[in-house]
Amino acid sequence: MTAVLPLATLASSLLTAAVIFMLPEQALRTRTALNLAAALVKLVLVIWMAWGLIAGEVYAVEFAVVEGLSFVLRVDALGLTFAGLSSLLWLFTTIYAIGYLEDSPNRRRFFGFFSLCVASTLGISLAGNLFTLLIFYELLTLSTYPLVAHRGTPQALAAATVYLRYTLSAGLLLMIGMVALQVLAGDLRFGQQEILAELGPAAHPWLIGLFWLLILGFGVKAALVPLHGWLPRAMVAPAPVSALLHAVAVVKAGAFGIVRLVYDVYGIGFSAALGVLEGLVVIACITILYGSLRALAQQELKPRLAYSTVSQVAYIVLGIGLFGPLGTIAALAHLLHQGLMKVTLFFCAGNYAEELGIHRIDELDGVGRRMPLSSLAFTIGALGMIGLPPVVGFISKWMLGMGAVQAGKPWVIAVLVASTLLNAAYFLPILNRLWFRRGPAHGVGAWPAERAPSRLETSAWLLLPALATALLSLLAGMLAGLPFSPLQWATRVVQQTYLMP
Amino acid sequence: MTELSLAPFPLLRLPLAPLLFAALLWPLLLGLRAALGATISLGQPRPHLSRPLNQPLSQSLHQPLDWLWISAPWPALALVVLGPDGSLWLEAWLLGGCWELDDQRRLLLAFSALLWGLAGWYARGYFAAEQAQAAAGDPDSRARLLRFALFWPLALCGNLLLLVAEDIASFYLGFALMTFSAYPLVIHNGTREARTGGLAYLVMAVLGEGMILAGLLWGAGTGSALTLSELRATLATADMGLWMGLLLWLGFGVKAGVIGLHLWLPLAHPVAPTPASAVLSGVMIKAGLVGWLSTLPLGMAGIDDAFQGLGRAMLTAGLIGAFAAALLGAAQRHPKAVLAYSSVSQMGMIAALVALGLLQPDSWPALSVLVLFFAAHHGLSKGALFLGVGISEQPPRLPAWLLWTLLILPALSLAGALGSGLIAKWSTKKALEAAGEETLAVWLSLAAVGTTLLMARTLWRQWRPWRETIETNQRPGHSLSTSHRPSQTLRASHSPSPNPSSNPDQNDQHLLAPMPLAWLLGIVAALSLPFWAGWLAGGLTAELADQLADGIDGELEGAFSRQLAGGLASPPLSALPALLWPLGLGLLFSIVLGWSLRRVATRLSHWLPAGDLWWPLAFCGRWLWCLARGLLQGLVILQAAWIAWWVARERDGLTGLEMLTRAEGWLRRQLALLLLAVALGLAVVLLLNAKSTLLWP
Repeated sequence: MTAVLPLATLASSLLTAAVIFMLPEQALRTRTALNLAAALVKLVLVIWMAWGLIAGEVYAVEFAVVEGLSFVLRVDALGLTFAGLSSLLWLFTTIYAIGYLEDSPNRRRFFGFFSLCVASTLGISLAGNLFTLLIFYELLTLSTYPLVAHRGTPQALAAATVYLRYTLSAGLLLMIGMVALQVLAGDLRFGQQEILAELGPAAHPWLIGLFWLLILGFGVKAALVPLHGWLPRAMVAPAPVSALLHAVAVVKAGAFGIVRLVYDVYGIGFSAALGVLEGLVVIACITILYGSLRALAQQELKPRLAYSTVSQVAYIVLGIGLFGPLGTIAALAHLLHQGLMKVTLFFCAGNYAEELGIHRIDELDGVGRRMPLSSLAFTIGALGMIGLPPVVGFISKWMLGMGAVQAGKPWVIAVLVASTLLNAAYFLPILNRLWFRRGPAHGVGAWPAERAPSRLETSAWLLLPALATALLSLLAGMLAGLPFSPLQWATRVVQQTYLMP
Repeated sequence: MTELSLAPFPLLRLPLAPLLFAALLWPLLLGLRAALGATISLGQPRPHLSRPLNQPLSQSLHQPLDWLWISAPWPALALVVLGPDGSLWLEAWLLGGCWELDDQRRLLLAFSALLWGLAGWYARGYFAAEQAQAAAGDPDSRARLLRFALFWPLALCGNLLLLVAEDIASFYLGFALMTFSAYPLVIHNGTREARTGGLAYLVMAVLGEGMILAGLLWGAGTGSALTLSELRATLATADMGLWMGLLLWLGFGVKAGVIGLHLWLPLAHPVAPTPASAVLSGVMIKAGLVGWLSTLPLGMAGIDDAFQGLGRAMLTAGLIGAFAAALLGAAQRHPKAVLAYSSVSQMGMIAALVALGLLQPDSWPALSVLVLFFAAHHGLSKGALFLGVGISEQPPRLPAWLLWTLLILPALSLAGALGSGLIAKWSTKKALEAAGEETLAVWLSLAAVGTTLLMARTLWRQWRPWRETIETNQRPGHSLSTSHRPSQTLRASHSPSPNPSSNPDQNDQHLLAPMPLAWLLGIVAALSLPFWAGWLAGGLTAELADQLADGIDGELEGAFSRQLAGGLASPPLSALPALLWPLGLGLLFSIVLGWSLRRVATRLSHWLPAGDLWWPLAFCGRWLWCLARGLLQGLVILQAAWIAWWVARERDGLTGLEMLTRAEGWLRRQLALLLLAVALGLAVVLLLNAKSTLLWP
């Protein structure tokens, strides 16, 4: 029983991918049903595992690949945080993608790699050692490439090439780092951080060097400045892929890798002792400010959101760098919060592009009148990004601020506030345009490319996921005190895993 | 406290929780109703929803400001009157919610909800013309009204939440909700000026929010505080408490119009619809004051000495604001801009009193009651004055002398000559004397001269257009009913409403129409504040009496015992000259200045436009933005160049590889020949080496 659940969860996406590749391109209904069923099954399985984990069950699979190197899947609370996020958002993203790619070519290829991508995300979250993590990490890289290049335009192909260059070279660094750690300390499982700590001071320079090497590797996917170049270029991908890149899988995988590295490979106490956390904080702060500044200068919606991701994901790294329980809670909670908010924003940006052909920010005048529900969802997401209560972004920012003060770094608050102001400076004008400007809906000018009107403001497949994630990000903030809110779950993870001796 | 409390309805105390929820949720529900109406009407361009425009979809769509909408603050009033003191814990809410009701909050809630209610009622009359157009099928006015109907209750909800909140997160939520919901109210007209005012409002508000967030995070993180009282205690003793206090003072100071941060007030007030200006100036800027009272360690024992400096800064800024705003305001042309500067001036006086809480913690209990009373007095009087601006634009059928008496009454009250103003002034004077701050009392009296000047100015600016209107109307061919009405003349081309009962022209000049009645009630509420405030928050007044009784002689003790029953004390006749001289001086100044400067007045107003520092700062801001964008562009170019360099190196590498490949191909093709050559060479070498030996012996 204990081995079945993680394998089944992994298989739920892997098998789906295989079956979808075998289905003919025209098998529309079967593919849709299969996709949705797989997403639901996976969500149920993850919830089941979470339930079991709280009840004290142990879920683990492992076998030796070669002597001294094993493939380990092991379910822990931290991994389930990421697994839960990706399986929940995958459900919404799948629904959205089905609506978004209606009547477009190559859907078999798209959904096949889509499933493969989520399978690898799940593998990353359940991996029990660096080797397993690395396998799925590379699989994620390879399975997202066709998605980024999906449109097949020269621009898309160029962006996908850039993506591949960045991520593959990062993968190489990761591999070197992993092998070196293996040589130093043997087959390290996550959670055996005392082994590294016992290596003695002679190994510390090596360990510090390897730490930064691995951070360099994970930092590419987490889009830390200056390794973020691929992310804004990958904006040419279709909206569900952007959502996947930014909120569900890729960027989060990088951030999750850093979490694993700091908490489960090195151990937070040992990392603090090595003095590497200060560096993380500085990098995160630079990324937060630089991303926001670049976002401010963008004139198109999706690149602005992309730079906003660069800035927001660094919050997670910042939380990790703040040594102390509150910082960790903030990091884990923001992992979930940022996913909910950013996926909403990308869904809405996709809706604008699909329904009205809007890509530039100055074309958004008066859209609130034409697409009130999408704009409402966008507003909730944007206010959350700014960090206004009661949206979840406020909770993240609050916990980060608390963590910063308790870690003895009150200057971080200045960074947080500057980021809040910059966020307001690049999101509020969009909201102003959406709601308070006169545009084509008021009879001024025309939309770039309006689709034939449908019963709702846009297709229900596109509208409902955006509304659902917006509602979730609102509720998760308003009811942050409820037992299974992201904040409380993060608190539980931190209490169970890190504070217990 | 509860034993002392002379609460108004001891016979009927309902449980707190349902009252609190009703007070906060009812405005939200009404806002939701407007949003639903908006969604339905926004769907109009769709084929499946298109109906003839004048076919009624629902009442709320065509007349968004109906009676139900007006009722938004009523549950809050019920909470004030019927709610018991107590607190409510909400574990699941945000980071752990705690909402409280006590005497202080009751007084704040009372005047806030009252003014919101009166202004909402007034809005019904104020927007009558727009409502009629909406009913006639004008989609733009309907959209504007629906927006107003949505954000008005939202701002109200935020305001109420920040008043009852005791946990920091709810307080911040209420503050942010109120601030951001007020933006659509400011830009209601959609004109260029309204957008400028809205921009000033929003920019300043966001800056303020940033400073508030920084102060709250820092303070709460230092003391692991979740509630406001824990935060105050943290600030009082923390190492860096002074800096947290400074951030909070400035952050809330944006809302409370501290001089230098007041830029949005004179820009946003004149352009906002009159009921919105009334609540902005009457209630919302009090949120800044509430912020100070809730977060700064006022009157706390064992407070860090460093706070003396902050107190002095607050005092100085308050007094400078009180005088500078009076001078700037006197140069304004728009009566609402004058009133906005008057708000800055009055809030400066209140800030000076608050500063005493840091400078002289011992005298704070007495002063805090005063500050609250002063705030309530200013809120209601300023509200009545703002509502009066609309009244003088669309005068009801009243004799001119009565109309102007009524318009002057709240102005006199604000200048401290009668009603709540006189009592506030008298109590301030007494309290300051008890605290040994006679100098401050003199300064405040001098500031009251400025207030009188501003009141004279605003009434004068109201009188002029009114006079012209009356003169125009008395000419033949003009009837009173087609009188000066800005919102209507603006869209005079639209056909009048087909429905006569909703036609505002006949209705809104009766004394009992919404606008005049709300205005009259506003005046009454403002003037009678001392009676019902003491009645409502009996405990507070008793506390004030207790605190003051020590420092004053026997003759006055009788006055304070009377005040227990009837509110704050009225001054004895003998004290009147000492209280009224600023009024006389102010009137004298107004007449002298008005007469002597009448030639340069226009130029003066041109030099000192509303919003004073905003214009140079906005210019600098634009310039800085251009600079920053240039720098950023440079950075991007630099980055691109860097990447290009790497790409070029990569290309070099590839070229090298290609050369290698070519060399290899050449090698492959020429291999046989080469080998042959090598073999030959070897053979030759061998031959040469073998010269010495005989091959064929």
